[in-house]
Amino acid sequence: MAVVQPEQEPTIHEYWPRYWRRTLFLVITMQIIGLLVVGVALLLSGISDADSLEFWITLIAVLFTTILINWIVLYIVTEPLKQLTAAMAKIAGERSPLSPPNPNADRYAKSGLRPLLRWIYEDTNAKKDSQSTQAIAASDNGVLEAFTHSTSSFVIFDQDYNITIATEHAPLIVTEDGTKRLDLDFLNDTSLSDWIKECDEHVVNAEKTWLYIGTRPVGDPKRRVYDLTATYNKGSAHPVSVLLLEKTGEYGPDDSDLNFIAFAAHELRGPITVIRGYLDTLNDELADVVDAEQKELFERLIVSANRLSGYVNNILNSARYDRRHFSVRLVETSIASIYDSIADDMRLRATSQHRLLWVDLSHRLPTIAADPSSIGEVLGNLIDNAIKYSNESGTIEVTAEQHGSNLEVSVRDHGIGMPSNVVSNLFHKFYRSHRSRETVAGTGIGLYISKAIVESNGGTMSVQSVEGEGSTFTFSLPIYSSVADKIESTGGDSREFVAHNSGSWIKNHGSIRG
Amino acid sequence: MSYTVNMSAHTILIIEDDRFIGEMYVRSLKKAGYDVDWMVDGNDGLVAARNKQYDVILLDVMLPERRGTEILQALRGGGEDLIPNTKVIVLTNFEQDDESRLAMEHDVDAYLIKAEITPKKLLAILDQLS
Repeated sequence: MAVVQPEQEPTIHEYWPRYWRRTLFLVITMQIIGLLVVGVALLLSGISDADSLEFWITLIAVLFTTILINWIVLYIVTEPLKQLTAAMAKIAGERSPLSPPNPNADRYAKSGLRPLLRWIYEDTNAKKDSQSTQAIAASDNGVLEAFTHSTSSFVIFDQDYNITIATEHAPLIVTEDGTKRLDLDFLNDTSLSDWIKECDEHVVNAEKTWLYIGTRPVGDPKRRVYDLTATYNKGSAHPVSVLLLEKTGEYGPDDSDLNFIAFAAHELRGPITVIRGYLDTLNDELADVVDAEQKELFERLIVSANRLSGYVNNILNSARYDRRHFSVRLVETSIASIYDSIADDMRLRATSQHRLLWVDLSHRLPTIAADPSSIGEVLGNLIDNAIKYSNESGTIEVTAEQHGSNLEVSVRDHGIGMPSNVVSNLFHKFYRSHRSRETVAGTGIGLYISKAIVESNGGTMSVQSVEGEGSTFTFSLPIYSSVADKIESTGGDSREFVAHNSGSWIKNHGSIRG
Repeated sequence: MSYTVNMSAHTILIIEDDRFIGEMYVRSLKKAGYDVDWMVDGNDGLVAARNKQYDVILLDVMLPERRGTEILQALRGGGEDLIPNTKVIVLTNFEQDDESRLAMEHDVDAYLIKAEITPKKLLAILDQLS
C-alpha cells in the first residue's frame, strides 16, 4: 500500500495501483474460495480421497494455473483503465510513475481507445491554452495595473459573496472575522447587499447604479464619494462585480446644485417672510373690522402662506438630504412643546378646511432626543397630508405613546386610505398615486422628506392604511433618557448619533453577509 | 392686541437690509413699546453696536458690506465679548452650512429663520429671553 501522507488529497495516478491490487486480490481470493469449495465437496462426497496425492496435486495445479490465467486476463482487461489514468495524471500535471500513452499509437486506434485519449489530451489542453491566452491578454492590456493609477476601482465577488478581486483603491474594510467588505454607507438607498438578495430571489441578470455613495460620515476628511454600478449574473462563478467611480472632488461641499437651491430658497423666503408676517399682523389688527366671512378668508391666506413656507422648506431639506448635507442638532425636548410651536398654524389649517383636529400630546410624556424645528416640519407635513386625504368634517387624531425606549407619535385620519401598492411607494420622492383626487394638491416631497428627517433624528417612520377607512402615519423617536449619554458624547450631532445608535451604519455598510 | 413689555429690555438694534422685512419688524417692535434702531448695512450696524449698548441685537446674516458672521466675530469673537449684556438673535433666511451655523449658534442666544417668525412670534421670543 502506498504511503499516503496525511491531509493530502489522493492523486489521480494513485488510483491505478489501488484499483489493480484490489481487483487482483478479489479475483485470487474468489479463485481460492472456489477451489476450496470444490475440494471440500469432492472429499465429502467421497469422490476423492484426502490421502490421495493426486487429489492434492491436482488441486494445487488447478489453483496455480487458474491464478496465472486470471492474472494475465485481468492485466489485459484493465489496460485501458490504466492508460486513461496515466493520461489524466499527465494532463493534471502530476508526477506519475505511469507512462502516459501516446494517443496516436496504432494499437489505441485498433482497440478504440484513441478517441477517449484524444479527448483527454486535446480538450483539456485547448481549455488550458485559452485560459492562459486570456491571462496573457489581460496582463498585456494591463487592466489590473491600470487601476493602480486610478482612484476608481473594480471589485468582484464569488458565489459566497466574498470579495475575490479588488483593485488597488477599492474602499475596503476588514471586518472582525477577517473578511473584506466594501466600506460604503448607503443611507436610505437600497444597500448593495439588499440588492443582491433581491436579485438572488427574483432575477437572472441585473444591473444597478447608485450615485453619491460615501464612505465615512460627511465632514470626515478621509471621506470618499463614489458612483457605483453593480452587475449581477446568477450562476456565474463570479456573480457580482462592482465598478466604483470616484467622485469625491465633484461632490464637494461647493457643489453648485446645492448652492443654487440654497440661494433660491433664500430668495423665496424673503417675500414669504413679509406675507406671513403682515397676514398675522393684519389678522390681529383688523379683527374688529372684518366680518366672519372675511376672517375666514384671512385664515385661508394664512394657511396658504404657511403651506408655501413649508414647501420651500421641504424642497431645501430634500436637496440637502440628497447631497448628504442634512444633519440636525439633537437636544432634549418634548413632543408637546414641538407641537405647541406649530399648534396655531395646524388649528387654522384644520378649521379653514373643515376638519376636526384632535391632539392628545401630554406634557407628561417622557422627553425625547430630537431637533425641534425639523420634527415640527414633520408633524406639519403629516397633519397636512391627513387633512388632504380625509373627508369633509373628517377627524384627524395626533397622539403619542411610549413604547420601550421610544416615543411613538401617530397621525391618524379616517379618510380615503390607500391600497397596499401605493403604501409601498409612498415615501419615494414625487410619488403621487394615479388615484389621488383632483382637489388634492401637493408636490409629493412632503412624505419623502418627513421620513428622511425622522431617520436623520435617529428614528423610524411607518404607515398603515386601509382603503376607504383611513391611514395612520407613525414615527418613533428615542426617549431622551435612553440615549442621553450618546447625545452628550456626540454633542448632539445627529449624524454621529445615528451612526452609533441605531446600527444603521452597519446595516447600510455594503456588507454582504447577515 | 397688547403685549406686555419687560421694561428691563427695551432697546433693540436691528441690522436688516431688506426694507419690507425691516419695516415689518420695526413697526411691530415699536408698537410693543421697544426703542428700535434700524441699520440696513453691515458696516453701519457694527458701528452702531459699538457706540451704544443695546439690550437686544437682531442680526441678519446676508448683509451688504459686511456679513452677519463677521459682525458677530467683531463683537464677540476673538476672546473678548464687547457686548456682554446684550442678547443677540440671528434672524436669517439663508440656510447656512452646518459649520457656519454652529459657529454662530455658539455665540448667540437664538438662531431663527425669518420665514418662520412672524412679528408676533418675535415678540414672544423676546419676552422669553428676558
